[in-house]
Amino acid sequence: MKYIRSGITFGLIGGALTLLFGGWSVAVIGSLMGIGLGLALGGSFERKDPLKIAATVLPSALVAAVILVALSFYQNSVVQEAIGKRPFAANLALNANLIGFFGSVLFAAFVAAIHGLPQNQERAIKIALLATLVVLFPFIDKLTALRWTAQIIFALIFVILGLGLNIVVGYAGLLDLGYAAFFAIGAYTTGILSSPQHGIFLNFWLVIWIAAAMAAVWGLMLGAPTLPLRGDYLAIVTLGFGEIVPVLFKNLTDVTIKEPLTCWILPGLMNLFGAQTTMSCITLVEHEDLTAGDKGISPIGRPSLPIISPNEAVGLALVVKVVVLVLIVGLIGYYLFRAISSKQYKRVAGLAAGLLAAIVFFIPLPHPEKGFMATFMAVIQPGEFKSNDPTTWYFLIIAIILLSIFVIQRLRDSRLGRAWMAIREDELAAAQMGIDPVRTKLAAFAMGATFSGFAGAFYAAYIAGIFPSVFDFSTSIIILCVVILGGIGNINGVIVGGLAIMTADRLFLPALKDFLSSLLTHTILPSISDPVVQLAVKDNANPILYRFLLFGLTLVIMMAVRPEGLIPNAQVRAEMHGEEATAEKAKA
Amino acid sequence: METTKKKFNWRGLGVSLLVLYIVFLIGPIASLDVPSIVTAIKANPIQLIQFLIIGISNGAIIAIIALGYTMVYGIIELINFAHGDVYMIGVFTSLTVLSVTGTLDSKDPVKIALGLILALVVAVVVGAVLNASIERLAYRRLRNAPRLAPLISAIGMSFIIENLGLMWAAQAWLVPSFGTTGGASQKVFPDMLSVMFNSLGQDVNLLASSGLPLRFTIKDLLVIILAVSLMIGLYLFVQRTTLGKAMRATAQNRDAAKMLGIDIDWVITATFLIGGGLAGAAGLMAGLYNNTAWWFMGFRAGLQSFTAAVLGGIGNITGAMLGGFLIGLLASFSDGYLSTRWTNAWVFTVLVLILLFRPTGLLGEQTGQKA
Repeated sequence: MKYIRSGITFGLIGGALTLLFGGWSVAVIGSLMGIGLGLALGGSFERKDPLKIAATVLPSALVAAVILVALSFYQNSVVQEAIGKRPFAANLALNANLIGFFGSVLFAAFVAAIHGLPQNQERAIKIALLATLVVLFPFIDKLTALRWTAQIIFALIFVILGLGLNIVVGYAGLLDLGYAAFFAIGAYTTGILSSPQHGIFLNFWLVIWIAAAMAAVWGLMLGAPTLPLRGDYLAIVTLGFGEIVPVLFKNLTDVTIKEPLTCWILPGLMNLFGAQTTMSCITLVEHEDLTAGDKGISPIGRPSLPIISPNEAVGLALVVKVVVLVLIVGLIGYYLFRAISSKQYKRVAGLAAGLLAAIVFFIPLPHPEKGFMATFMAVIQPGEFKSNDPTTWYFLIIAIILLSIFVIQRLRDSRLGRAWMAIREDELAAAQMGIDPVRTKLAAFAMGATFSGFAGAFYAAYIAGIFPSVFDFSTSIIILCVVILGGIGNINGVIVGGLAIMTADRLFLPALKDFLSSLLTHTILPSISDPVVQLAVKDNANPILYRFLLFGLTLVIMMAVRPEGLIPNAQVRAEMHGEEATAEKAKA
Repeated sequence: METTKKKFNWRGLGVSLLVLYIVFLIGPIASLDVPSIVTAIKANPIQLIQFLIIGISNGAIIAIIALGYTMVYGIIELINFAHGDVYMIGVFTSLTVLSVTGTLDSKDPVKIALGLILALVVAVVVGAVLNASIERLAYRRLRNAPRLAPLISAIGMSFIIENLGLMWAAQAWLVPSFGTTGGASQKVFPDMLSVMFNSLGQDVNLLASSGLPLRFTIKDLLVIILAVSLMIGLYLFVQRTTLGKAMRATAQNRDAAKMLGIDIDWVITATFLIGGGLAGAAGLMAGLYNNTAWWFMGFRAGLQSFTAAVLGGIGNITGAMLGGFLIGLLASFSDGYLSTRWTNAWVFTVLVLILLFRPTGLLGEQTGQKA
């Protein structure tokens, strides 16, 4: 019976989403809902016969699918008209709903059944499933014309930012309220080094490293004087830094630097004693527009894969591509072989997914109308980053995330990572054990800033223009929300948190806004006669305006209910509930 | 003071000179251009006094908000991030009261005075109740959690209240003067004091008869009088009354105070009530003085006041007042001689410098490392 209840819950959530998005979304949402339901239910079973698990889950999956499809049909027949849109053609709607129905049922049963397998197989299959989803997502998105990829890329940018902030907040336990400053530094470094603003056009693949290094240097420069501070004082200083940096970028439009000794100190002193001076003033920079102020820097250069770009000679490009492909296939084969012998499924499968992503990274999707099999086969095509096609960008950011996860995992398990956690638990004790607190914290700050620099460089290139208002305090708080919602100190948690928060912010809220406003103009407002009420209703029905209410609520509720986050790190969880546990013990 | 005679610190002098040189070198980027400032002061020395007056009036408002920060920090060692937003709600509450009672359209001084007093009372009550409910909802259950938990909760609360302000500013049916520009734009807070004292609605300049090009208006006078009397009242309250004594005891040692029979929960609630009430009063004052109401004004005001509290020595009530006036002066001089757009950056630079070199603040005791 309890399975049926979660089936109803999932069905209602999925159905509500289809109500908002409409069209082909029922197919995608149905499949995702099935996976979610399978994961939610599967965990509660013992490891036994997978088929039996699938059979047990099936009724609730069917319930969820029926609710979803019912709501989807309701959307198409009633809601579409209420919001003043033409309903989806009947045969297409039937197709979409069939896919959604079977997708949700099959995925729910399949994913739940996986939980019956031995642990290592279960994990390998889950990762393979995840990798397939990640790789296929942009193509499915294109086929179904949902246009979610561009927004998902923003979510992934915030995942990188969250991973970086997680080093500072989660591992080292330093509350950084100005993390967006490093994001800004990365983005502006990219903007200055590859735009017509200064006539410098460096290659993106070089700039992204410069941006990361620049952010790290600023992390060190900020950290060195401030890290002896503790707790909330550090939080306030970082907040101050986070406020100053956007102000700087906004106002560095007329930079003049004159050497003060020759320009006014010595002449001033001499004038004081009555001597006339004719000292020449050394001017370093005069009236230099560094950041273009509120106008922002644009256009910013896009990355390209130089060796295989279409302008290169065909022969060379072909040779390079073949070599790269052989290397990739060889590596995958090698690691698969090692995986079988060493049973290190998790990392290896992650790597394989990364390499798979790397292959698809070369696909520019020249002919999306041919369907994705044709595009999938078109591996021998040059890779390009275009503004109207987010697919290559998507794979670039996936690659950056995989790299980041790899590096962060290694860092976490290294001597430095363990030192961070020791500092977080008890700084005095850690110092007594021979850890240099300031140096360790500095390393955390610099590493966190580095990932922010990567994200900034990618962001600048992806948007192709940067504006100072993007990097204010609220951005720092969104990143903090990502870390806290997902689970402080946990990489998987941060990824889930980033995807949840940013899809809510970038996909759900705009859809809700469009939905509400068209519903109002077509159905509700004409039925209200009183103009005052009409105006009041119209003014207040804009969820995007109040999006920060959502972030504020997230922080307060998470702190009150589940301070360790959705997917917590075991240590942090113990720490957050330490007092309660001892109190309960004392009572008992 | 017993200090052993040390050798002259040449290295320290060298570092200071180098820092000074670097400040002079890159200062002009942030408008810190010493020669032009000196020229400006030489050309018009009276202006300096004018900036002093503006700075003291604004500083009085900042000081009142800073009191709330410093009292709360003194007792539960939490930076109440939402405090600046309580002040913003105070602005909107008083504006709404003035509008609903019809004071905004009135020309009758007696009616305006009554309306203003009512607005003050309502703003104080709303601020106090709001601040205490924030404590009850968001902080109380986290009192024994790790230090960062209540701070994060406070940031969340601040966002929630800012959005309440944003919604409030969109309710044109409640306050017609909000207009149809939506909640995000800055609203006008009418200059009721000038209307009250001058039938033409002009600002009354108390220094007009002196012949100097200075303005010290009735607004400045009232803001300073109100602020100073609130400060004196608070100081007497904390020093003389039983509840004030209980507050000081709780701030010193919560457990010991509890053992002596002090109701800690009530003391903390009372602290939040008083702080919120002060913020509400500051809201009305700031509205009347600066004539704007904006949903985001609480954030900046909160940061400036927090800086003031830290500058004076956080947890120290006299220190918060001193710090408030100093920050007000700094902001006013920065607005006048540097550039408005850099003022916040300079305030923050001061905050960072204080925290680095004297974390206990000007009048504070050894609380720096407790943070």
